[in-house]
Amino acid sequence: MDTFPRICFRAILQHALPLISTHGFTRKTLSLAVMQLPNPHSQPLSETAITALFGNGDDARRTLINGWLKGGLEDMQHGKTTGGTMQHILKRRLRWNEPVLEHLPEAFALLVAPQQTLPRLDIRPAISHAASVADEACYLTSDIPEGTSWYVRRAVIASIYTAAELHQITSPQTSEAFLDELLEKSESVRRVVAESSLFAEYVGKSWGSLIKSRGIF
Amino acid sequence: MPAARRRLRPLQLHARLTHSSSSDTTHFGFQNVPRHKKEDMVKSVFSSVASSYDVMNDAMSLGVHRLWKHDFVSTLNPGASGPSKCIDLAGGTGDIALRILDHAREKHYDRETTVDIVDLNPDMLKEGQKRFKQTMYHNTPQVSFHVANAQALPPAQFPSDNYDLYTIAFGIRNCTDIPAVLREAHRVLKPGGTFACLEFSRVDNSLLSTLYDSYSFSIIPLMGSIIAADRDSYQYLVESIRRFPSQPDFSEMIREAGFTTGAPREGKGGAWRNLWGGVAAIHTGVKL
Repeated sequence: MDTFPRICFRAILQHALPLISTHGFTRKTLSLAVMQLPNPHSQPLSETAITALFGNGDDARRTLINGWLKGGLEDMQHGKTTGGTMQHILKRRLRWNEPVLEHLPEAFALLVAPQQTLPRLDIRPAISHAASVADEACYLTSDIPEGTSWYVRRAVIASIYTAAELHQITSPQTSEAFLDELLEKSESVRRVVAESSLFAEYVGKSWGSLIKSRGIF
Repeated sequence: MPAARRRLRPLQLHARLTHSSSSDTTHFGFQNVPRHKKEDMVKSVFSSVASSYDVMNDAMSLGVHRLWKHDFVSTLNPGASGPSKCIDLAGGTGDIALRILDHAREKHYDRETTVDIVDLNPDMLKEGQKRFKQTMYHNTPQVSFHVANAQALPPAQFPSDNYDLYTIAFGIRNCTDIPAVLREAHRVLKPGGTFACLEFSRVDNSLLSTLYDSYSFSIIPLMGSIIAADRDSYQYLVESIRRFPSQPDFSEMIREAGFTTGAPREGKGGAWRNLWGGVAAIHTGVKL
Protein backbone atom coordinates (compact mmCIF):
# COMPACT_ATOMS: atom_id res chain seq x y z
CA MET A 1 0.00 0.00 0.00
CA ASP A 2 2.89 2.34 0.83
CA THR A 3 4.52 3.00 -2.54
CA PHE A 4 6.67 5.85 -1.23
CA PRO A 5 10.06 4.81 0.25
CA ARG A 6 10.83 6.42 3.57
CA ILE A 7 12.99 9.47 3.00
CA CYS A 8 14.91 10.82 5.96
CA PHE A 9 14.79 14.56 6.56
CA ARG A 10 18.61 14.44 6.56
CA ALA A 11 18.52 13.34 2.92
CA ILE A 12 16.58 16.49 2.06
CA LEU A 13 19.12 18.55 3.99
CA GLN A 14 21.96 16.86 2.04
CA HIS A 15 20.31 17.65 -1.28
CA ALA A 16 19.75 21.24 -0.18
CA LEU A 17 23.47 21.96 0.35
CA PRO A 18 24.39 22.33 -3.36
CA LEU A 19 21.50 24.77 -3.81
CA ILE A 20 22.75 27.20 -1.16
CA SER A 21 25.14 28.98 -3.52
CA THR A 22 22.18 29.92 -5.75
CA HIS A 23 19.35 30.44 -3.28
CA GLY A 24 21.16 31.18 -0.02
CA PHE A 25 20.36 29.84 3.44
CA THR A 26 16.63 30.19 2.89
CA ARG A 27 13.46 28.19 3.27
CA LYS A 28 13.24 28.24 -0.54
CA THR A 29 16.45 26.21 -0.70
CA LEU A 30 14.90 23.54 1.52
CA SER A 31 11.69 23.55 -0.48
CA LEU A 32 13.56 23.05 -3.77
CA ALA A 33 15.71 20.24 -2.35
CA VAL A 34 12.94 17.65 -2.88
CA MET A 35 13.26 18.23 -6.61
CA GLN A 36 16.86 16.99 -6.38
CA LEU A 37 16.02 13.69 -4.66
CA PRO A 38 16.67 10.39 -6.50
CA ASN A 39 12.86 10.17 -6.94
CA PRO A 40 12.31 13.88 -7.47
CA HIS A 41 9.09 15.66 -6.67
CA SER A 42 7.49 17.71 -9.40
CA GLN A 43 6.69 20.57 -7.01
CA PRO A 44 8.74 22.27 -4.29
CA LEU A 45 7.69 21.61 -0.70
CA SER A 46 5.03 23.89 0.76
CA GLU A 47 5.73 26.29 3.63
CA THR A 48 3.71 24.02 5.92
CA ALA A 49 5.88 21.03 5.02
CA ILE A 50 9.11 23.01 5.55
CA THR A 51 7.86 24.00 9.00
CA ALA A 52 6.88 20.42 9.79
CA LEU A 53 10.35 19.09 8.91
CA PHE A 54 12.75 21.86 9.79
CA GLY A 55 10.99 24.35 12.07
CA ASN A 56 9.04 27.56 11.88
CA GLY A 57 10.34 30.82 10.35
CA ASP A 58 14.09 31.29 10.79
CA ASP A 59 14.39 28.02 12.71
CA ALA A 60 14.34 26.19 9.36
CA ARG A 61 17.14 28.44 8.10
CA ARG A 62 19.16 27.69 11.24
CA THR A 63 18.63 23.98 10.66
CA LEU A 64 19.98 24.45 7.13
CA ILE A 65 22.99 26.46 8.35
CA ASN A 66 23.81 23.86 10.99
CA GLY A 67 23.47 21.12 8.37
CA TRP A 68 25.89 23.01 6.13
CA LEU A 69 28.38 23.47 9.00
CA LYS A 70 28.18 19.76 9.70
CA GLY A 71 28.83 19.08 6.01
CA GLY A 72 31.97 21.21 6.30
CA LEU A 73 33.23 19.06 9.17
CA GLU A 74 32.63 15.89 7.15
CA ASP A 75 34.42 17.42 4.15
CA MET A 76 37.51 18.09 6.30
CA GLN A 77 38.04 14.33 6.52
CA HIS A 78 38.90 14.31 2.83
CA GLY A 79 41.72 16.73 3.65
CA LYS A 80 43.36 14.00 5.70
CA THR A 81 43.95 11.88 2.61
CA THR A 82 45.41 14.73 0.54
CA GLY A 83 48.13 16.03 2.82
CA GLY A 84 46.99 15.52 6.33
CA THR A 85 48.72 18.51 7.91
CA MET A 86 46.88 21.10 9.99
CA GLN A 87 47.48 23.60 7.17
CA HIS A 88 45.87 21.36 4.51
CA ILE A 89 42.87 20.50 6.63
CA LEU A 90 42.10 24.07 7.65
CA LYS A 91 42.55 25.25 4.06
CA ARG A 92 40.14 22.58 2.93
CA ARG A 93 37.63 23.89 5.45
CA LEU A 94 38.06 27.41 4.11
CA ARG A 95 37.46 26.13 0.58
CA TRP A 96 34.14 24.65 1.76
CA ASN A 97 33.05 28.27 2.41
CA GLU A 98 33.93 29.52 -1.08
CA PRO A 99 30.72 28.68 -3.02
CA VAL A 100 28.53 30.33 -0.36
CA LEU A 101 30.78 33.19 0.72
CA GLU A 102 28.31 35.93 -0.15
CA HIS A 103 25.65 34.31 2.06
CA LEU A 104 27.92 33.65 5.05
CA PRO A 105 27.67 37.00 6.85
CA GLU A 106 23.88 36.73 6.95
CA ALA A 107 24.09 33.07 8.02
CA PHE A 108 26.42 33.82 10.93
CA ALA A 109 24.33 36.82 11.93
CA LEU A 110 21.25 34.61 12.02
CA LEU A 111 23.01 32.08 14.24
CA VAL A 112 23.99 34.66 16.84
CA ALA A 113 20.73 36.65 16.60
CA PRO A 114 18.70 36.54 19.82
CA GLN A 115 15.83 34.06 19.88
CA GLN A 116 14.60 35.26 23.26
CA THR A 117 14.48 38.72 24.84
CA LEU A 118 17.76 38.01 26.69
CA PRO A 119 20.60 37.57 25.94
CA ARG A 120 20.68 40.22 23.25
CA LEU A 121 23.36 38.30 21.40
CA ASP A 122 24.01 34.58 21.62
CA ILE A 123 27.66 33.93 20.75
CA ARG A 124 27.50 30.25 21.69
CA PRO A 125 26.90 29.06 18.09
CA ALA A 126 29.96 31.03 16.92
CA ILE A 127 32.13 29.52 19.67
CA SER A 128 30.71 26.07 19.01
CA HIS A 129 31.47 26.36 15.27
CA ALA A 130 35.11 27.40 15.82
CA ALA A 131 35.57 24.78 18.54
CA SER A 132 34.14 22.01 16.31
CA VAL A 133 36.47 22.90 13.45
CA ALA A 134 39.47 23.01 15.78
CA ASP A 135 38.56 19.72 17.44
CA GLU A 136 38.05 17.98 14.10
CA ALA A 137 41.33 19.36 12.71
CA CYS A 138 43.29 18.25 15.79
CA TYR A 139 41.69 14.81 15.63
CA LEU A 140 42.45 14.38 11.92
CA THR A 141 46.08 15.43 12.37
CA SER A 142 46.40 13.13 15.39
CA ASP A 143 47.36 16.22 17.39
CA ILE A 144 46.27 14.97 20.78
CA PRO A 145 48.33 16.58 23.56
CA GLU A 146 47.69 15.66 27.14
CA GLY A 147 46.45 17.60 30.14
CA THR A 148 45.70 21.28 29.82
CA SER A 149 47.62 21.42 26.52
CA TRP A 150 44.61 19.68 24.94
CA TYR A 151 42.44 22.73 25.62
CA VAL A 152 45.17 25.27 24.86
CA ARG A 153 45.90 23.71 21.48
CA ARG A 154 42.25 23.67 20.48
CA ALA A 155 41.71 27.24 21.68
CA VAL A 156 44.69 28.38 19.58
CA ILE A 157 43.49 26.55 16.44
CA ALA A 158 39.93 27.83 16.95
CA SER A 159 41.20 31.42 17.22
CA ILE A 160 43.38 31.03 14.12
CA TYR A 161 40.54 29.53 12.11
CA THR A 162 38.05 32.21 13.23
CA ALA A 163 40.46 34.96 12.22
CA ALA A 164 41.13 33.31 8.85
CA GLU A 165 37.40 32.81 8.18
CA LEU A 166 36.59 36.44 8.98
CA HIS A 167 39.46 37.51 6.73
CA GLN A 168 38.07 35.26 3.97
CA ILE A 169 34.71 37.04 4.05
CA THR A 170 36.35 40.41 3.33
CA SER A 171 39.30 39.25 1.21
CA PRO A 172 38.83 35.73 -0.14
CA GLN A 173 41.94 35.77 -2.39
CA THR A 174 44.38 36.28 0.49
CA SER A 175 42.69 34.06 3.06
CA GLU A 176 44.97 31.03 2.57
CA ALA A 177 48.13 33.13 2.81
CA PHE A 178 46.69 34.76 5.96
CA LEU A 179 46.03 31.31 7.44
CA ASP A 180 49.63 30.21 6.67
CA GLU A 181 50.96 33.32 8.37
CA LEU A 182 48.85 32.77 11.50
CA LEU A 183 49.84 29.10 11.76
CA GLU A 184 53.51 30.02 11.39
CA LYS A 185 53.26 32.71 14.06
CA SER A 186 51.44 30.38 16.42
CA GLU A 187 54.18 27.78 15.89
CA SER A 188 56.90 30.30 16.70
CA VAL A 189 54.91 31.56 19.71
CA ARG A 190 54.55 27.96 20.89
CA ARG A 191 58.33 27.44 20.56
CA VAL A 192 59.04 30.68 22.39
CA VAL A 193 56.59 29.80 25.17
CA ALA A 194 58.06 26.28 25.49
CA GLU A 195 61.63 27.61 25.62
CA SER A 196 60.64 30.38 28.02
CA SER A 197 58.95 27.97 30.38
CA LEU A 198 62.01 25.67 30.22
CA PHE A 199 64.26 28.63 31.00
CA ALA A 200 61.95 29.81 33.80
CA GLU A 201 61.99 26.29 35.27
CA TYR A 202 65.79 26.28 35.13
CA VAL A 203 66.01 29.67 36.80
CA GLY A 204 63.47 28.62 39.44
CA LYS A 205 65.40 25.45 40.26
CA SER A 206 68.65 27.40 40.46
CA TRP A 207 67.18 29.87 42.92
CA GLY A 208 65.74 27.01 44.93
CA SER A 209 69.16 25.37 45.16
CA LEU A 210 70.79 28.68 46.14
CA ILE A 211 68.30 29.26 48.91
CA LYS A 212 68.74 25.72 50.22
CA SER A 213 72.54 26.05 50.18
CA ARG A 214 72.27 29.21 52.32
CA GLY A 215 70.44 27.21 54.97
CA ILE A 216 67.53 29.66 55.11
CA PHE A 217 64.98 26.80 55.19
CA MET B 1 -32.91 14.22 23.27
CA PRO B 2 -29.38 15.51 24.10
CA ALA B 3 -30.43 15.86 27.78
CA ALA B 4 -31.69 12.24 27.81
CA ARG B 5 -28.40 11.07 26.30
CA ARG B 6 -26.43 12.85 29.05
CA ARG B 7 -28.26 10.76 31.69
CA LEU B 8 -27.45 7.47 29.91
CA ARG B 9 -24.11 6.85 31.72
CA PRO B 10 -22.44 5.12 28.73
CA LEU B 11 -19.48 3.88 30.81
CA GLN B 12 -21.76 1.47 32.72
CA LEU B 13 -21.64 -0.71 29.59
CA HIS B 14 -18.12 -1.79 30.40
CA ALA B 15 -19.20 -3.55 33.66
CA ARG B 16 -20.72 -6.36 31.57
CA LEU B 17 -17.95 -6.28 29.01
CA THR B 18 -15.11 -6.96 31.48
CA HIS B 19 -16.33 -10.55 31.82
CA SER B 20 -15.94 -11.12 28.09
CA SER B 21 -13.83 -14.12 27.16
CA SER B 22 -12.38 -12.32 24.11
CA SER B 23 -8.60 -11.93 24.24
CA ASP B 24 -8.63 -9.18 21.59
CA THR B 25 -8.95 -6.21 23.92
CA THR B 26 -7.90 -2.61 23.93
CA HIS B 27 -7.87 0.17 26.45
CA PHE B 28 -10.85 2.41 27.13
CA GLY B 29 -9.36 4.82 29.60
CA PHE B 30 -7.91 2.59 32.31
CA GLN B 31 -10.27 -0.31 31.51
CA ASN B 32 -9.69 -3.04 28.97
CA VAL B 33 -12.57 -3.61 26.61
CA PRO B 34 -13.07 -5.75 23.47
CA ARG B 35 -11.67 -3.95 20.45
CA HIS B 36 -14.90 -4.13 18.49
CA LYS B 37 -16.77 -2.36 21.28
CA LYS B 38 -14.43 0.58 21.78
CA GLU B 39 -15.65 2.53 18.78
CA ASP B 40 -19.27 2.48 19.95
CA MET B 41 -18.25 3.36 23.47
CA VAL B 42 -16.20 6.33 22.31
CA LYS B 43 -19.07 7.37 20.09
CA SER B 44 -21.47 7.41 23.00
CA VAL B 45 -19.00 9.35 25.18
CA PHE B 46 -18.86 12.08 22.58
CA SER B 47 -22.59 12.03 21.95
CA SER B 48 -22.95 12.58 25.65
CA VAL B 49 -20.56 15.52 25.80
CA ALA B 50 -21.23 17.11 22.38
CA SER B 51 -23.51 19.95 23.42
CA SER B 52 -21.24 21.11 26.25
CA TYR B 53 -17.92 20.16 24.66
CA ASP B 54 -16.56 23.67 24.12
CA VAL B 55 -17.71 24.92 27.53
CA MET B 56 -16.06 21.95 29.20
CA ASN B 57 -12.84 22.43 27.26
CA ASP B 58 -12.72 26.03 28.47
CA ALA B 59 -13.40 24.98 32.06
CA MET B 60 -10.95 22.04 32.08
CA SER B 61 -8.05 23.84 30.50
CA LEU B 62 -8.90 27.31 31.85
CA GLY B 63 -9.14 28.50 28.27
CA VAL B 64 -5.63 27.33 27.44
CA HIS B 65 -6.89 24.93 24.75
CA ARG B 66 -7.65 28.02 22.63
CA LEU B 67 -4.01 29.10 22.86
CA TRP B 68 -2.87 25.62 21.88
CA LYS B 69 -5.20 25.49 18.89
CA HIS B 70 -4.14 28.98 17.84
CA ASP B 71 -0.47 27.93 18.11
CA PHE B 72 -1.23 24.73 16.15
CA VAL B 73 -2.85 26.53 13.23
CA SER B 74 -0.33 29.41 13.22
CA THR B 75 2.52 26.93 13.03
CA LEU B 76 0.94 25.17 10.06
CA ASN B 77 0.33 28.55 8.40
CA PRO B 78 -2.30 27.36 5.88
CA GLY B 79 -2.54 29.44 2.74
CA ALA B 80 1.12 30.52 2.79
CA SER B 81 1.89 28.56 -0.39
CA GLY B 82 -1.45 29.18 -2.04
CA PRO B 83 -4.90 27.67 -1.55
CA SER B 84 -4.79 24.36 0.33
CA LYS B 85 -7.11 21.40 0.40
CA CYS B 86 -7.36 20.43 4.05
CA ILE B 87 -9.01 17.61 5.95
CA ASP B 88 -9.67 17.83 9.66
CA LEU B 89 -10.35 14.54 11.42
CA ALA B 90 -12.26 14.28 14.68
CA GLY B 91 -13.06 17.89 13.93
CA GLY B 92 -16.74 17.72 14.82
CA THR B 93 -17.20 21.10 16.48
CA GLY B 94 -15.26 22.84 13.73
CA ASP B 95 -12.78 24.56 16.01
CA ILE B 96 -9.67 23.80 13.96
CA ALA B 97 -11.39 24.12 10.59
CA LEU B 98 -12.63 27.61 11.43
CA ARG B 99 -9.17 28.65 12.57
CA ILE B 100 -7.64 27.29 9.35
CA LEU B 101 -10.04 29.22 7.16
CA ASP B 102 -9.70 32.41 9.21
CA HIS B 103 -5.90 32.19 9.17
CA ALA B 104 -5.76 31.66 5.40
CA ARG B 105 -8.15 34.58 4.87
CA GLU B 106 -6.61 37.04 7.33
CA LYS B 107 -2.92 36.34 6.78
CA HIS B 108 -2.85 35.40 3.10
CA TYR B 109 -6.06 36.87 1.64
CA ASP B 110 -6.97 33.35 0.68
CA ARG B 111 -10.63 32.48 0.08
CA GLU B 112 -9.95 29.29 -1.86
CA THR B 113 -8.60 27.06 0.91
CA THR B 114 -11.11 24.33 1.76
CA VAL B 115 -11.56 22.12 4.80
CA ASP B 116 -13.41 18.80 4.88
CA ILE B 117 -14.47 18.22 8.50
CA VAL B 118 -14.74 14.52 9.30
CA ASP B 119 -16.01 12.98 12.51
CA LEU B 120 -17.30 9.60 13.59
CA ASN B 121 -19.99 11.23 15.68
CA PRO B 122 -22.94 12.96 13.98
CA ASP B 123 -23.79 14.89 17.17
CA MET B 124 -20.38 16.52 17.23
CA LEU B 125 -20.75 17.43 13.54
CA LYS B 126 -24.12 19.02 14.27
CA GLU B 127 -22.43 21.27 16.82
CA GLY B 128 -19.89 22.18 14.16
CA GLN B 129 -22.57 22.99 11.62
CA LYS B 130 -24.29 25.23 14.17
CA ARG B 131 -21.02 27.08 14.78
CA PHE B 132 -20.37 27.57 11.08
CA LYS B 133 -23.82 29.00 10.50
CA GLN B 134 -22.61 32.06 12.38
CA THR B 135 -19.67 32.55 10.01
CA MET B 136 -19.15 33.72 6.43
CA TYR B 137 -18.17 30.17 5.41
CA HIS B 138 -21.67 28.74 5.85
CA ASN B 139 -23.09 27.39 2.57
CA THR B 140 -19.79 27.96 0.75
CA PRO B 141 -17.58 25.34 -0.88
CA GLN B 142 -14.86 26.17 1.67
CA VAL B 143 -16.29 23.83 4.32
CA SER B 144 -18.07 20.50 4.25
CA PHE B 145 -19.07 17.97 6.93
CA HIS B 146 -18.73 14.20 6.68
CA VAL B 147 -19.45 11.28 9.00
CA ALA B 148 -16.66 8.75 8.58
CA ASN B 149 -14.21 6.60 10.51
CA ALA B 150 -10.64 7.93 10.53
CA GLN B 151 -9.36 4.34 10.51
CA ALA B 152 -11.13 3.53 7.24
CA LEU B 153 -12.01 6.59 5.17
CA PRO B 154 -14.17 5.50 2.22
CA PRO B 155 -11.95 5.81 -0.88
CA ALA B 156 -14.87 6.94 -3.02
CA GLN B 157 -15.46 9.92 -0.76
CA PHE B 158 -11.79 10.45 0.25
CA PRO B 159 -9.58 9.48 -2.69
CA SER B 160 -5.84 8.91 -2.37
CA ASP B 161 -3.30 11.69 -2.89
CA ASN B 162 -5.95 14.34 -2.52
CA TYR B 163 -5.14 16.67 0.41
CA ASP B 164 -2.39 19.18 1.18
CA LEU B 165 -2.96 19.20 4.93
CA TYR B 166 -4.36 16.60 7.34
CA THR B 167 -5.08 17.75 10.88
CA ILE B 168 -6.37 15.91 13.91
CA ALA B 169 -6.68 17.71 17.23
CA PHE B 170 -7.46 15.95 20.51
CA GLY B 171 -9.01 13.06 18.60
CA ILE B 172 -6.43 10.41 17.78
CA ARG B 173 -6.18 9.09 21.32
CA ASN B 174 -9.81 7.97 21.07
CA CYS B 175 -9.14 5.79 18.03
CA THR B 176 -8.89 2.04 18.51
CA ASP B 177 -6.22 1.51 15.85
CA ILE B 178 -3.87 4.49 15.74
CA PRO B 179 -1.56 2.96 13.06
CA ALA B 180 -4.63 2.54 10.81
CA VAL B 181 -5.48 6.22 11.25
CA LEU B 182 -1.91 7.16 10.33
CA ARG B 183 -1.96 4.88 7.26
CA GLU B 184 -5.19 6.45 6.08
CA ALA B 185 -3.71 9.91 6.65
CA HIS B 186 -0.75 8.89 4.51
CA ARG B 187 -3.06 7.59 1.80
CA VAL B 188 -5.22 10.66 1.43
CA LEU B 189 -2.37 13.19 1.54
CA LYS B 190 -0.66 14.29 -1.66
CA PRO B 191 3.12 13.84 -1.97
CA GLY B 192 4.50 16.83 -0.11
CA GLY B 193 1.38 17.02 2.05
CA THR B 194 1.62 17.53 5.80
CA PHE B 195 0.19 15.51 8.68
CA ALA B 196 -0.28 17.42 11.93
CA CYS B 197 -1.60 16.16 15.23
CA LEU B 198 -2.32 18.16 18.37
CA GLU B 199 -2.87 15.88 21.34
CA PHE B 200 -2.51 15.66 25.07
CA SER B 201 0.79 14.05 25.89
CA ARG B 202 3.30 13.12 28.59
CA VAL B 203 4.61 15.81 30.92
CA ASP B 204 8.37 15.57 31.24
CA ASN B 205 8.75 17.55 34.48
CA SER B 206 8.05 15.43 37.58
CA LEU B 207 6.71 18.31 39.72
CA LEU B 208 4.43 19.55 36.96
CA SER B 209 3.39 15.95 36.31
CA THR B 210 2.27 15.50 39.94
CA LEU B 211 0.25 18.73 39.88
CA TYR B 212 -1.21 17.84 36.51
CA ASP B 213 -2.27 14.35 37.68
CA SER B 214 -3.95 15.80 40.77
CA TYR B 215 -5.80 18.36 38.66
CA SER B 216 -6.79 15.82 35.98
CA PHE B 217 -8.12 13.09 38.23
CA SER B 218 -9.79 15.26 40.86
CA ILE B 219 -10.93 18.51 39.32
CA ILE B 220 -11.83 17.58 35.75
CA PRO B 221 -14.29 14.74 36.48
CA LEU B 222 -15.83 16.95 39.19
CA MET B 223 -16.27 19.73 36.65
CA GLY B 224 -17.79 17.17 34.31
CA SER B 225 -20.39 16.25 36.88
CA ILE B 226 -21.20 19.88 37.73
CA ILE B 227 -21.13 21.53 34.29
CA ALA B 228 -22.09 18.64 32.00
CA ALA B 229 -23.81 16.27 34.50
CA ASP B 230 -21.58 13.49 33.19
CA ARG B 231 -18.68 12.61 35.45
CA ASP B 232 -17.95 9.24 33.84
CA SER B 233 -17.41 10.59 30.34
CA TYR B 234 -14.89 13.11 31.62
CA GLN B 235 -13.22 10.45 33.72
CA TYR B 236 -12.76 8.49 30.50
CA LEU B 237 -11.34 11.54 28.72
CA VAL B 238 -8.76 12.05 31.47
CA GLU B 239 -7.81 8.35 31.56
CA SER B 240 -7.50 8.14 27.78
CA ILE B 241 -4.82 10.86 27.92
CA ARG B 242 -2.68 8.67 30.18
CA ARG B 243 -2.94 5.68 27.83
CA PHE B 244 -1.72 7.56 24.77
CA PRO B 245 1.86 6.73 23.61
CA SER B 246 4.69 9.01 24.66
CA GLN B 247 5.99 11.66 22.30
CA PRO B 248 8.98 9.62 20.99
CA ASP B 249 6.80 6.51 20.56
CA PHE B 250 4.10 8.39 18.70
CA SER B 251 6.62 10.08 16.40
CA GLU B 252 8.04 6.63 15.59
CA MET B 253 4.51 5.44 14.76
CA ILE B 254 4.18 8.40 12.39
CA ARG B 255 7.43 7.43 10.67
CA GLU B 256 6.34 3.81 10.45
CA ALA B 257 3.23 4.92 8.60
CA GLY B 258 5.53 6.26 5.88
CA PHE B 259 5.86 9.90 6.89
CA THR B 260 9.11 11.82 7.06
CA THR B 261 9.45 13.77 10.28
CA GLY B 262 12.00 16.21 11.65
CA ALA B 263 14.83 15.09 13.91
CA PRO B 264 13.67 12.51 16.50
CA ARG B 265 13.64 15.03 19.36
CA GLU B 266 11.47 17.74 20.83
CA GLY B 267 11.60 21.36 19.78
CA LYS B 268 12.51 23.44 16.79
CA GLY B 269 13.20 21.22 13.80
CA GLY B 270 12.16 18.18 15.82
CA ALA B 271 9.47 15.58 15.17
CA TRP B 272 7.29 17.11 17.88
CA ARG B 273 6.95 20.24 19.96
CA ASN B 274 5.74 20.22 23.55
CA LEU B 275 3.25 22.76 24.76
CA TRP B 276 3.20 23.63 28.46
CA GLY B 277 5.93 21.16 29.34
CA GLY B 278 4.28 18.27 27.50
CA VAL B 279 0.68 18.68 28.68
CA ALA B 280 -0.03 18.84 24.94
CA ALA B 281 2.23 18.22 21.96
CA ILE B 282 2.17 18.98 18.25
CA HIS B 283 3.46 16.13 16.06
CA THR B 284 4.08 16.70 12.36
CA GLY B 285 5.14 14.63 9.38
CA VAL B 286 5.35 15.04 5.63
CA LYS B 287 4.50 12.51 2.93
CA LEU B 288 7.46 12.39 0.57
